[in-house]
Formats: sequence, structure tokens, C-alpha cells
Amino acid sequence: MPEITYLEAIRQALWQEMKRDERVFLLGEDIGRYGGAFGLTHGMLDEFGEERVLETPISEATIVATAIGAALLGMRPVAELMFMDFVLLSLDQLANQAAKMHFMFGGRATVPMVVRMPGGSGSGAASQHSQSLESVLMQFPGLIVVNPSTPYDAKGLMLSAIRNPNPVCFVEHKVLYKTKGEVPEGDYTIPIGVAEIKRPGRDITVVANNVMVMKTLNVAEKLSKEGIEVEVIDPRTLLPLDTEAILKSVARTGRLLVVHEACQTGGWAGEVIASVVGSPVFDYIDAPVRRLAGKDIPIPYNRGLEKSAIPQEADIEQEIRALVEGRI
Amino acid sequence: MSKGQEKDIGSREQFEERVKQLGLSDDTLIGVYRTMCTVRHFEYMADKLYAAGKVHGTMHLSAGQEAVAAGISMAVCPDDYLINHHRGHGHFIAKGADINLMMAEFLGKDTGYNHGRGGSMHIADFQSNNLGANGIVGGGIPQAVGVGLALKMQKRKEICVCIFGDGAANEGVFHEAMNMVALWKLPVLYVCENNKYGMSMDVERASAKLPLAQRADAYGIPWACVDGNDVVEVYDAMKTAVEHIRSGNGPYFVEAITYRYFGHSKSDRNLYRPKEEIEDWKQNRDPIMRFTKHLLQSEILDEGQAQEIDAQAEQVIVKAVEFAEASPEPDVSTLMEYVYA
Amino acid sequence: MPVPFIMPKFDMDQEKATIISWCKKEGDFVKFEESVLTVETEKVAIDVPAPATGTLAGILYKDGDEVPVTKVIAYILKEGESLGDLPNASLPTPPSKPQVAPVSQLVPAPQIASVTATPIAIRMAKEEGVDLSKVPASGDRITREDVESYIASQKTAGRVTVPATPAARRVARESGIPLETVAGSGPRGRVQSVDVLSAAKPVPAGSPTAQVNGREAEIVPLTSIRRTIAERMQKSFQESPHIALTVEVDMKEAENVRKRFNMQAEKLGQPKITVTALMIKVVAWALVRNPYINASFNGDSISLWKDVNIGVATAVSQGLVVPVLKGADHLGVSEINMQLIALAERARENKLKLDDVQGGTFTISNLGMFGIRQFRAVINPPESAILAVGSVVRKPVVVDEQDRVEVRPMTSLTISADHRVIDGIVAARFLSDLVIGLESPSMLLY
Repeated sequence: MPEITYLEAIRQALWQEMKRDERVFLLGEDIGRYGGAFGLTHGMLDEFGEERVLETPISEATIVATAIGAALLGMRPVAELMFMDFVLLSLDQLANQAAKMHFMFGGRATVPMVVRMPGGSGSGAASQHSQSLESVLMQFPGLIVVNPSTPYDAKGLMLSAIRNPNPVCFVEHKVLYKTKGEVPEGDYTIPIGVAEIKRPGRDITVVANNVMVMKTLNVAEKLSKEGIEVEVIDPRTLLPLDTEAILKSVARTGRLLVVHEACQTGGWAGEVIASVVGSPVFDYIDAPVRRLAGKDIPIPYNRGLEKSAIPQEADIEQEIRALVEGRI
Repeated sequence: MSKGQEKDIGSREQFEERVKQLGLSDDTLIGVYRTMCTVRHFEYMADKLYAAGKVHGTMHLSAGQEAVAAGISMAVCPDDYLINHHRGHGHFIAKGADINLMMAEFLGKDTGYNHGRGGSMHIADFQSNNLGANGIVGGGIPQAVGVGLALKMQKRKEICVCIFGDGAANEGVFHEAMNMVALWKLPVLYVCENNKYGMSMDVERASAKLPLAQRADAYGIPWACVDGNDVVEVYDAMKTAVEHIRSGNGPYFVEAITYRYFGHSKSDRNLYRPKEEIEDWKQNRDPIMRFTKHLLQSEILDEGQAQEIDAQAEQVIVKAVEFAEASPEPDVSTLMEYVYA
Repeated sequence: MPVPFIMPKFDMDQEKATIISWCKKEGDFVKFEESVLTVETEKVAIDVPAPATGTLAGILYKDGDEVPVTKVIAYILKEGESLGDLPNASLPTPPSKPQVAPVSQLVPAPQIASVTATPIAIRMAKEEGVDLSKVPASGDRITREDVESYIASQKTAGRVTVPATPAARRVARESGIPLETVAGSGPRGRVQSVDVLSAAKPVPAGSPTAQVNGREAEIVPLTSIRRTIAERMQKSFQESPHIALTVEVDMKEAENVRKRFNMQAEKLGQPKITVTALMIKVVAWALVRNPYINASFNGDSISLWKDVNIGVATAVSQGLVVPVLKGADHLGVSEINMQLIALAERARENKLKLDDVQGGTFTISNLGMFGIRQFRAVINPPESAILAVGSVVRKPVVVDEQDRVEVRPMTSLTISADHRVIDGIVAARFLSDLVIGLESPSMLLY
């Protein structure tokens, strides 16, 4: 299987799906000649032409609204928001409109659209270009929030997202764009709403998303040499969340740590923990249930500060050790 | 504010000449009259039902604005798309919606257009390309860009009509959408239904320069500003606009000046406008009254016929209430349905 | 108002007590502070005195019942009161109906009318969802303060004090192991599932059966005392590294001293001085000289106790109790002897007070009377050392530098010491002090 980057995997999915389904089109800022702020849509204008790679003015709300309108008429738009932070400019369209249309109109409308948005810190983009807003988006039933952590998942989830009849927020991570992994060249999908055990283990369940999956896997590998076996679960879809998979895992391991880059207060770790603690799996919990999340601050610019604002491998390792060794 | 001056409707000859120019048959005119009566009765019935405690939420009534809805429907095709604002009963009726299903939705019944999930503010009928009313002021304006884009991509002849109020013209998305729709020359007819007040805010206090329609100039969109209580004048403007759009020339912007009789919503006590103003519009500029006068003057209808049509329209509404009241409530067991397709 | 008779709380961390027996029965006249029943806590069996003079009525628990502290167990009817004056709760309850009560029945309002209470108390009880009939009145009527203290007592009674993870609780529930008996290995003593699992291993789970591993056995349920001993001994042996040192002591001089004491006691009509009493005197002296033996280990510090409180392991029918002789270093031999006899008697009669068994700083265990020459004992935590005393045996020993052999009454003393607190040399010094004290007792007696 060829090894490609996370960014290339997403491009491959878009490319292949546009070849397969002529209803699919792209729209967003600078996605044409420039090739997208991160180069993700590079080459696509030449291949598909201006009619299917639409460069838009800087009008995030209307970019998303345009996708909605086109989706209502049976198109399959894939909109790009240059940074996830800008989703806030279009949140009315996403949250008040797209998320609610199917429900509010009594099941008579469908809005099959994808909004891509690279989030996360680590690139020195500071407070307004580094947020992880996935927890915010999880408050809008009707939306689907997917969040791939590997190139393989990114392609499979993108193909699923475009074919899904609901509005999908496709949350990418800037730091992951350059990570490489094996990705099949052909067509395959990863089901929406299904978590994956990225690494099985008996001692503790760690639920993590996007870049935190990678970090946790590195820690798990290290701890494995000392006999601590960490089970790493990647929800892949945050809304709807595959609570079942997490419950099953915690019932086995008796310990749970949730790791995410999004700010701690109101972050989705709380949702995972509440789901577990309030379920029959409560009786299998054998250590405090913990979360490790981004600090409750805007992401700072300075490299050191930026790093300290979100969980790093050393933090994850320390937390896992304390839980497994019964020190907390 | 003008005081107690009845609006001069002009001579019989002028009216007949104009109607002839526009190619409007007697049957069409009678149909328009019927539509306006139906809308008026729907709104007054809604108010009555509300007072009787049969309506759970709120509602936004369009009594007084019937000519805009009727004028648009005369100019467009049944398959054209409609994106509407929250004061939308009239436009839906004019577009040919099933009154029974509308009333059922208004009363929150399972037989309603939205299975009781939307209510007055969100009635939609996707089968007749009615893409629904929006509860967020201006929320539909940018969506019309997408509908227009899809129509263009799909190389279809239909257009998208997007109606919004004077208040919505001050939302940021208004400008984003005007720019993009013009940039891409999309088949969208924007209708600003200016009823003078954005809730309580007078349009003159809210907008730096009037008429609102001239904002279209900034985006190179042709525009017109018309008397929204004169159904023929509304039709005239809409006809020009629709022809322009359907010929592939891109969007068009029409502002129709009108007036609502009821408050913004049920909680409105009309503290921001004098009673005399409301009475003036009701007594001297009412769209149905003006149009009826023309029809009588030109002997298209006699008084008895006019009254009969009006009574028939009322019956349609009474029947719709019967249908709605007899309809079942949505089953609570279906609560979680329709969240995801 | 009948006086509620509650299960008293004897100890700080006590949650419940088991009724061993009622000495009085329903309808008996009881006097204030007269013993009415005997209950057993984890530490002692104890008599419970009547809270008032009157007729014992409305007994709610029988012998063998385990009752949470502060729960009403009976009432005392005062003169002129009858069974009809008892609150509803204490009357025989009709068999519970299987059907679900309609919501209207769940409203407790109608019950309130039968109880005399101040309006504020009634309102407060309503707001807090308290059944007023269960609230003991301090005066003629139930007051707000009564309701408040009732609520406070309910909170205390319902509190779970054993820290344990949910998984540990589940395993404990499933295996029938009381969590209180499991030593927690987690932070702050939190019981984790692994603790319960390992506690479960030696005893197969399930209900008592005559078959254990396919062999016939009588299954004896653990009494609170046995359970406490088991838990403490296991914890002690697992947690504190024991070292043991033994010395032989010539008891000739000690015996001589004892004889002299006994002659005097006989004249005074006092009981005979036991070897143990003498031993305690010497041990108390040696403990003052060796403070690290009279100490407790706290994890991050050591408490060197100012008091010398010596426990004496005493066999009773249900197991072992350790009555404690307080301030032994300030007592004379006769006084030690008298107190010892009184304690032993109370222990045999199951009448030890809580104070009798608390606060020990060092323990002596003597198995000499069974002919045991020498043994090692397990430290009784939180103490740091225990002295095991063997039998006194007459045997030939070399008594001087000329290698003269004489028959002497010899005994062996073995100290078990917690090596976290006590170095070998410290234990050795203590033992050598004991040898000096016992071989030259007159030195510290006169």
C-alpha cells in the first residue's frame, strides 16, 4: 500500500469522489490557483475547472450558506474554511440552519454537505488560528463532526462524509497534514459514528482525538516495554459519539483517561466521562476517571507557551502512570 | 405621516390600460383577488386561534402585506424555488401550499408540513420547491446563493425567489450574498418586503440610506422600489425582474413598501407606532380594498361576486382549522426522529 | 412523648453495632443509666444504658441485628404514657403492598398532623422531606433544632466511610466480602478491585457451606472481633517489616520480689501479684528509657508517645482482646496488678469499655502459662513493637565467672519490632534494659 500524507489522503478522497460523482464540487477561499492555504486543493482547479472548484470571496457565512442552498437542491458541496476558527463566522448557517433543517422541516429536507476546517495549535498561528472547536460543534444535533487522526482514516472518512445525507463538519488538524501513513489507492469508506481501537491494552483506556491519538500511541508504545498496556480509542466521529465502544473498553480496563487539545472547560472529555460514569460500567471503574485537555486559555504565540497550553506526550505519560500505579 | 387621506387608485381607464399591457386576464385578476382574501382570512383566523389558546408558540402575521405575496406568485412559475422569512404564511399560500397542511403545522399537528416540528415560523414544502421559512433574520439570504448556484450548475430554467424584510437588509450576510450572487450572476430574485419596522425599529432609524433597494447598485444588481400594496405594480416589477433573471442576466432586487397590521409577534403591544398610523394604512391603503375597488370599477366582479369569493376563501380557512383540529398530535415516541437523515 | 432509645455511637469511625442480647424485655421497667442491652462493635462488647427511667417499649431490633448508630432501637415510656403514644414508625408495620402507590400517597403531609411540633419544625420537615414521626423531640414539642439535628444525624448515619473504587465495591458485593475488612492499597487507603480480589482468594466466595474444597468443614461466620483481628494482623504483617530479637532472663530476683510482695498482699487481703504485673512495671520503665519502642509510624513521621499505655493480650471466648493499662510508668506494682485483674475480668465477661481497649502504645503477650517457651508475636498497629513472654522454666545456668552452675527460673523474652521505626540495636538496648530491670528489680521498685 502506498504511503501518503494526511493532506494528500484528503485530496485523494476529494479528487476521486469528484471523478465519481459530478454533483460534488468544492468552494472556499483561495482553493483555486493558490491551491488552498495549506495546499490541499493543489491541482484541482486545473483538473476540474472553475465550475467545480469555486473560489469565493472572504465570506465564510455565505460560503457555508451556499453549500446549504446547493445541497438542498441535491448537490454535494464540500466547503473549505481556511481555519477552523472561522467556523464561528459561519456558525449561524451551520448551527441554526444546516443542523436543524432536516428536523425542523419534519424530515422533508436533507442537507448533504461537508465543511472542511483545519483546527488545532502547533503552528505558531496564535489565538485566532489555532483553536480546537470540535466540542462547540458537538452541541448542535443534526451536525456530524468527524475528526480523523490518520491518513487512512482521513480518506475513508472523507468519502463517507461526502456520501452522507447530513451536514458534516470535517475537522482536520494542521499538525497532522504532513504525517504519513498507508492509504489504499481505491475507494473505501470508514463508517461515521464508529470509534476504532487504535491499540488494544488491558490496563487503561485512553480516548483521544486527532493529534492526541498520535501522541498517546507513542506513549503507549513506550509504556508497553514496562508492562503497562494502554488501550487507545479514537472516536473518529465526535458527533454522534460511539459511546458503546468506549464503555466496552472501560469495562475491560477499569480505568479511563480522555485526552484532547480542546479547552478543558466544556470540552468533550466531560461528555465521555459523564457517559461512562453514569452507565452500568460505573461498577467497573477502578481508579479516578480523568481528563487531560487544553488549558483554559487562548492559544499563545510563543513556541514554549503554545506547547504548554495543550497536552504533550510527557503529560499523557505521567497521567497514565499515576492512574495505572494507583497514585491518584 | 399622512393623515386620513385615502390613496388615489387612479382612473378605470388607467387600470385597464395597464392590465392590458401586462397581459393579465380577468380570470387571473380574480384568482389574485381570491389569493389575497385567503391570506387575509388565514391571518385573522390565526389571530383568533391564538386568542383561543390553541397555538403553542408565537406567530408572525402578514395581514396588510397580501399584495406582495400575490404579486410575486403572479410573476413566477410554480416550480421556481422560494426561500422565505418568518412572516411567511402569505407567500406560501400564494405559492399554492395546501392550506390544511399549513394550518395543521400551525397547530403543531403530526399531519402538518413539518410533522409539528416547525410551527408557524418554519413551514416548508419541499415537493413544491418551497424551501421553507427562516427564523433567523436574514438566514435565508445567503442560502439563495447556493440554490441559485445549483440551478446554474444543473443548467435549469427555474429561478430562486428569496424574500426577506427590511430588518434583514442590515445583516452582514446580506452584503456577502449580494456580492456573491452578482459575482456569479446567479438566477436569484431578492425581494425586500419593507413593512417599515424590524420588530419595533423603524426602517428610517435603522438604515442609513433609503430606499434599501439602492444598495443593489453597489453590487451591480438592477433594482426597483415599488408600492407593495398595489398588487399590479408589484406584479409589474416582478415580471420585469423574472424575465431579466430567466434570460440568464443574473440577479434582480425588488423592494416592496408595505405595512403589517398586527404586531411583530404576539407579544407586541405596538408601543413604537401610533394607532393612527395603523388605522391610516388599514383605512386608506389596504391592498385588498384597493384591488377590490379596481375590480368593481372595471366591472370584472360585482359586489356580490366579490363577497362570495371572500366567503369562499373564509370557508377554506374554516375547513383547514377543522382538518387541523381533528389531526393527531405527533407521537412523543417519535421525538428523536428527523435529527439525522 | 416517649423517649427514643437510640443505638449510641461509641467510637469516632463507628457506623454500626450488633445487638448481642437484650437484658431487659418489652414492658420491663428500667432506670436511667441501667444496662438494657449489650452490643458489640468492631472493637468491644459494651453495655448500653437506658436513656431515661420508664417502661421499655417498642423494641425495633432483636438479638443479632446489626444497627446503624443513632438509629432508634426502642422507646422508654414515661409515667402515664402507653404504647399508643409511640410514633407510627415503631408500631408493627402492615405487610407492604406490591402495587405502586399513587403519587398522592407519596405526599407525607397527612402524617405530620399526629406529631406535636412547632410550625417552623413542620415546615422545615416538609421542605427537607423528613418524616417528623422519626424525629426525637428534645422537649414537649419537636423544634426546629430537633429537625436539624435529626437531619445531621441521618447524614452521618448514611455516610460511607470506606474509600473504595466503584469496581472494588462491585467485586465486594459480588464476592460477599465486606469492604471494611479489606485493606486498601490505593492512595489514602482507597480499596481497589485488586485488593478485594486478593482478600477474596483465601476464602472461597459464596454462602457458607459444609464443603470447602470438597472437604467437610464447619463454616464459622466472622464475628466483628475476629474480622478486626484478621484485618489488623494481616495489615500489620504485610506493612511493617518485623524484626525479632530474643533474650533469656533469670527470674530469680523477680520471683523473690514477687514473694515479698505477695506476703504483704496476703496481710492486706489483696490479690497476689502476677508475673505479668511485675513484667509490666519493668517494661514501662524500659519504655521510658527507649522512646522509639513506644512509638508509631506515620508514613512520613514517627510519633514518640508521651504516655506509656501497655496492652496485655488476653484470651477470651471469641478470640483475643487487648485491654490497655494506661500510664503504666506512673503506677506501682500493686496498682498495676489491681487494674490488670479488673481488666481481665471485664474482658472475660465481655464488658470492656471502649476506653479499656484504646490508646495502647506497646503490647505484651504472655503464653507462658501454656508452657510455651519462646515465640514471636505480630505487632499490634499502630504500635511499633510487641513483647512475647515465654514460660518460666527452672534450668541449670552458669551464674558466675567461676562457671558455677545453678538451677534458676529462666524465661525468654522476644521483641517483634517494626524495622521502619526501630533499628536492631534499639530493640537490643530495650531488651537489655528489660534484663537489667527483671534481674535487679529492687533497683526500680524501692
